[in-house]
Amino acid sequence: MFSGLKIAMVFVLLASAGGAFIYVKNLQSNLEIARANNAKLEIAVETSEASLKVLKEDNARLNELNSTLNVSLSKSEAYGDELRATLNKHNLTHLANKKPGPIEKRMQNATNKLWNDLESITTVTPGVQSDETRAGDQSSNKD
Amino acid sequence: MRQEPEIKVVTKIEKTVVPTVPHPKPVQMNDIKIYVVSPSENFEEFKKEFESKNGGDAYIAISIKDYENLSLNFAELRRYIEQQKAIIVYYEEAVSPLPKTEKSE
Repeated sequence: MFSGLKIAMVFVLLASAGGAFIYVKNLQSNLEIARANNAKLEIAVETSEASLKVLKEDNARLNELNSTLNVSLSKSEAYGDELRATLNKHNLTHLANKKPGPIEKRMQNATNKLWNDLESITTVTPGVQSDETRAGDQSSNKD
Repeated sequence: MRQEPEIKVVTKIEKTVVPTVPHPKPVQMNDIKIYVVSPSENFEEFKKEFESKNGGDAYIAISIKDYENLSLNFAELRRYIEQQKAIIVYYEEAVSPLPKTEKSE
């Protein structure tokens, strides 16, 4: 009877040990999966942080460019505003009637300056510009 | 038993590089001569000077008001060119890749 009990106890012990072994193996396997998942998540977080950094940098750069653009756009209005103010300030018809000579000179100078300014603002960076010669004075009015 | 190869997934941020094209050549303006003529002051003088330079050619007259409008029209064109240029520069800089020094930071 005792031998039967011993056998039963040994059997129970072996079964328990086997169960424990399987349980530990299962735990180890789950731990491996959890580690792998954790590594993947870390990479995902790193990638997402890097993307966010690039996005923020781009945003800051575009904001800066936008501010510069707005300054340039406002600055471009200056010439027209000044011209309108000058024309409003002076009665050009009256002045031209009274002093055609000096007014002619001023108009001529202002026109020449405008042509020069237009050439200047359309000038491109060296190397891109064509080598073609300037059109020059093709006016029929030769001094 | 052969071990299963590990598959690595690498995510990299690649920006599309848009090449910028050369700007058009600058404008080349021709000179023009302006005469301001007052009927009571210098009309005869103008006629003589004009005929000596251009013979008996016809000429185009423009009133002071229209001259003002012409100059305002040119001012508008100038504004448009400058603003268009500024916008092009903006886009060029926006699409250009960041300098390496900035990238490494």
